[in-house]
Amino acid sequence: MRDYAAYRVDGRPGIRNHVVVLSLNSFCNRAVELIAETVRGTVPLVHPFGRNEIGVYRERLERSLEGVVLNPNVHSVLVVGYEPQSTEEFVETVRKATAKRVESVLVLEGGTMNAIRVGAEKALWMVIAASEARRETTGFEGFVFGVKCGGSDATSGVASNAATGEAVDRIIEMGGTAIFSETTEILGAEHILARRAVNENVVQKIYRAVEANEKMAMDAGIDLLGVNPVPDNIRGGITTIEEKSLGAILKAGTHPIQDVLGYGEHPKKPGLYFMDSPSAASEVVTGLSSCGAQMILFSTGTCNPVGNPISPVLKVTSNPRTVARMREHLDLDISAVLTSGMSARDAGDRIIDAIVAIANGKLTTAEVVGHMEFAPIPVGL
Amino acid sequence: MTASVTLEPPKWLWLHAEDNVAMALSDFTKGSSIDVEGINVVFHDDVEYGHKFALREIPTGEPVIKFAETIGVAKREIRVGEHVHVHNVQSLRARKQ
Repeated sequence: MRDYAAYRVDGRPGIRNHVVVLSLNSFCNRAVELIAETVRGTVPLVHPFGRNEIGVYRERLERSLEGVVLNPNVHSVLVVGYEPQSTEEFVETVRKATAKRVESVLVLEGGTMNAIRVGAEKALWMVIAASEARRETTGFEGFVFGVKCGGSDATSGVASNAATGEAVDRIIEMGGTAIFSETTEILGAEHILARRAVNENVVQKIYRAVEANEKMAMDAGIDLLGVNPVPDNIRGGITTIEEKSLGAILKAGTHPIQDVLGYGEHPKKPGLYFMDSPSAASEVVTGLSSCGAQMILFSTGTCNPVGNPISPVLKVTSNPRTVARMREHLDLDISAVLTSGMSARDAGDRIIDAIVAIANGKLTTAEVVGHMEFAPIPVGL
Repeated sequence: MTASVTLEPPKWLWLHAEDNVAMALSDFTKGSSIDVEGINVVFHDDVEYGHKFALREIPTGEPVIKFAETIGVAKREIRVGEHVHVHNVQSLRARKQ
């Protein structure tokens, strides 16, 4: 068993202690940006959405914005809304789900400059309160670990995803939860995952997610080649979506799949979950964070600089050429798996060590370089 | 899973006995040759790090196998030592009708 020191704002362990200024609508972004510039120690979350979305896009946006507030890495939240009704509904919904401090300001009452004045003062006292929180030693119960592979090449499937799978297995064995995603990237490997579903209902959910995804590609009249796998995957040696998927699913380890989650949906009990979502890096990482993941592991071949404002993103590669080319975007080099015979199991140990260090507060390269992509509506494949 | 066993870093990776392709862990040039578990592979093309080459002849329409699973089918006959990639392999999933 391993332990680390975490904050506990709301019962579950938080590995960061963010005060978030959250935009509910693109018109509120300017106020959010200026509040965050004015009040040191706040994290601004802006996006171009929040008006007129319907259906699955509205659901994904609502779940991801609510999910950010509930993430254990968030100490408190200042919501910047546009008009009273939608803002009050949002604040009421999240207050029902959490005891953490959530306050709001409105842009339509007095304008952007007034929202900045009122909001900045509220945010000031949130930052002071957050600074009093202290870490305490805890285990992996209540820890949610998101895993994503991106910038994949042929090394991902044979080494770094397999080592990630080892780490996922161990997190679950220590009482934690792990979530993997990317529906397009289980095409051609869904039969293997379906065998690991806990019951027939979950088997059907896996096949339905894949069918809907493949139908979307067919209805668009496109070939997946060039869309997924993308050109950098192809340059890295990946030929078809089947090959990419068979390598991608190794990151999910070997435990049974408890359920298929919607984008940003919180799992109800520990274990392994699949989140049904398109595959683009920023969108999947945002969704995993909104599912409650305190940390996200990004297993990469050719590399990708993506980060997240709420959940640290741990970047792992097994490609020695990528280590030489993109070192500033990587946190862990396990290329010894391919160059000198390190076992996937030993590489899994190295990943667990890195998880513990980052959980204890060690910064990731993405946090320091300042990659804070926040993309709460995934579209595409 | 087998890989070339030397004190040098391995130059190729053959994941499963049923796989008809292996992965290059080195840059191979056209005309060079290697031994993969008793299979004499003469490269018909340059094969870059991470890319695949054929260990067995794969007739047109037959499966290309990696991870002991089908990753696509041969668009045309593929000879031992050929680069196996998008120019000679077709995915079976989500294809334009």
